[in-house]
Amino acid sequence: MKKRMVSVLLCLAMAAGMMAGCSGGGDSKGSSDKEGTTGGKESVVIWDYFETDAQKNMMQDMIDGFNESQDKYEASHVYVPFADYEKQLTLGMASGELPDLVILDGCGMASFIEMDLFGDVSAADIKWDEYMEGPMSSTMADGKHYGIPFATNCTALFYNKDIFDAAKMDYPDENTTWEDFREMAKALTKDGVTGFGNAATGTDEGTFQCLQWLYTAGGDYQNIKGGMDAYKLMQEMVAEGSWSKDCVNWTQSDANNNFVAGNLAMQQNGPWQIPGIEKDAPELNYGVTVLPKKDADSGQATSILGGENMGAVKQDNMDGAIAFMEYYDQTDVMIECMKQYGSFPPKTEAAQDSYWTDDPIQKAFIQQLDTSIPRGPSASWPAYSDAIQTGFQEVMTSAKTPEKASEDTQAAVDKVKASEK
Amino acid sequence: MKKRNHISIRAGFLFALPAAIYMLIFVGYPMIQNFILSFKNVDVYTFSDTAKQSFVGLANYTELFSGEEAILSTAIANTLIFTVISIFFQFFIGFGLALLFSKKFKGSSFFRGVTMISWLLPVTVAGLLFKFMFASKGGIINQLFMSLHLIDAPLEWLLDPKLAMAAIVVANIWIGIPFNMMLLITGLTTIPEEIYESSKLDGANKFQTLFQITIPMIRPAIMSVLTLGFVYTFKVFDLVWVMTKGGPVNSTELVSTYAYKLSFEQFQFSKGAAAANILFLILFVVGIFYIKLINDEEEVM
Repeated sequence: MKKRMVSVLLCLAMAAGMMAGCSGGGDSKGSSDKEGTTGGKESVVIWDYFETDAQKNMMQDMIDGFNESQDKYEASHVYVPFADYEKQLTLGMASGELPDLVILDGCGMASFIEMDLFGDVSAADIKWDEYMEGPMSSTMADGKHYGIPFATNCTALFYNKDIFDAAKMDYPDENTTWEDFREMAKALTKDGVTGFGNAATGTDEGTFQCLQWLYTAGGDYQNIKGGMDAYKLMQEMVAEGSWSKDCVNWTQSDANNNFVAGNLAMQQNGPWQIPGIEKDAPELNYGVTVLPKKDADSGQATSILGGENMGAVKQDNMDGAIAFMEYYDQTDVMIECMKQYGSFPPKTEAAQDSYWTDDPIQKAFIQQLDTSIPRGPSASWPAYSDAIQTGFQEVMTSAKTPEKASEDTQAAVDKVKASEK
Repeated sequence: MKKRNHISIRAGFLFALPAAIYMLIFVGYPMIQNFILSFKNVDVYTFSDTAKQSFVGLANYTELFSGEEAILSTAIANTLIFTVISIFFQFFIGFGLALLFSKKFKGSSFFRGVTMISWLLPVTVAGLLFKFMFASKGGIINQLFMSLHLIDAPLEWLLDPKLAMAAIVVANIWIGIPFNMMLLITGLTTIPEEIYESSKLDGANKFQTLFQITIPMIRPAIMSVLTLGFVYTFKVFDLVWVMTKGGPVNSTELVSTYAYKLSFEQFQFSKGAAAANILFLILFVVGIFYIKLINDEEEVM
């Protein structure tokens, strides 16, 4: 009898374990009432992954503005954590529980267009020709529009003026070359300060920051070997200790926290960190300039475009989603939103607003945007990103020599290229 | 007589029916779907258009294993190392604690309850705690080792491939000990007190009692703990995902994290399904072993 008790207990434990193993995946966000109406108005549900207060306020203000501007639709938004975002969209496609409009990372959009999540909105009354080419290309496939760019940004070089002043060194500027940059970082690495750090974690967040080094060296996302100098620079600087080795586990927030704490003399990061720095460390004396260029003869360094797109989910009635995008398409609405959000409006003209051009830090990002390129776009971008970031991690942890790593990464990238259709 | 037997067989089927239906719908159907998916070519390009989806036989499986540095082979090796080391320590520490807490002493049930905390804690929370503790700058483990003069410089726990594996194993051992302990304690309570009394009368010492009475008597519980522990540990996901996401450079990539990455990060749904099925097949073999074990024991009894 006792034996039976033991086996019953075991079975219960096993069942409990299986439940625990399965939970977490199944809870789809409830927004299935997209056809529903609230107070006689059609509802427009938007998904986003915005976490900071500034971003949430921006979202609420934008939605309030839209709801007041007309009386046909009632917009609302649902927060989905960034780490689960693409998984929830994938599961949503299988279960049909999707919003009307999705705000998502620009580089992921090509995959979801290919998977038929988004509907063609080329006929909408949107001033397509006012948008910047890079961000716009990430919302398109085969010449059709599936949404509009929402925000655009890129990474640039932050430097701590106090640390440079203490070492009696000149600040980096647009003429700084890789060699200058390396010497600066080396000279500033002392007393617990590391010269430079960026986000090199093993996800696309790491690829977003590391890939620009490869482009600046002359490679691109399909031509790894052409950018082998970037591998050399990284491995040598990490070995010297002037490029923090911890980067391989750092996200962009980690890099920024270390910069704000004074552990880094320079960091690579984006404009969305600025509101946080102003709030948490108003006394931080820092500047921003474009990323270092390869050598004196080469042009300004490449940066990788980041930012979000809005995509209209494919369904029979997409009027609500289109109305919302048409509202956001107004340049003044876009400018107001982006001031709160900490990124740049994806329209060439809107980005020239004095709010950005009069501020020396924001101006550096506008200058860097000129030579920024999108990731891909390719529906296979996640596979490319994975292969590319593995290469960077191998170099930074000295698991492989730059030559071997570039050979292996090239092979991995070629394989992804071959699988593209 | 014959008729009665017939009825009881029918009644037996009837009783088994709800369980069978439940299994078919919630276990059988998704499993079969997953197998079918793994033999197709569903990825980001064919997801929306069923016309482009076709059966490709074992291509997904062979591709996963092809190449000298196939990630799946690394992942299987990593998973085995992770599992075997985890189980080894979990079992011996758990067994020691079970022997301790099966004795009646003041506060024994209180402390037994306290040990359960690490099992009750959500794994994600435990993973985050260990991630902070193993941080190379400011992590408590480096601080402790430094103050004990075991190391001179902070170790890069989650950055060095070997140390990262050690870190996730330590975290997993901590989580798994109470599970081992509780099942073994339950096993220990099945041993009648009289046996111990009579062996004492026969003059058996502590070691003889342990090796010749306790361990043989709870052998079924030990086997269950080991097989169940193997199954749990082999399919662990959340802990590793929180602590390292399989990195640095695939050094802590497990089959489960790799399958997740394929399906939900790279949208290679068929390949992800194939990787998950390989995980399933390995555990299926272990499961058969477990069921056979249970049946054998029942025959003996």
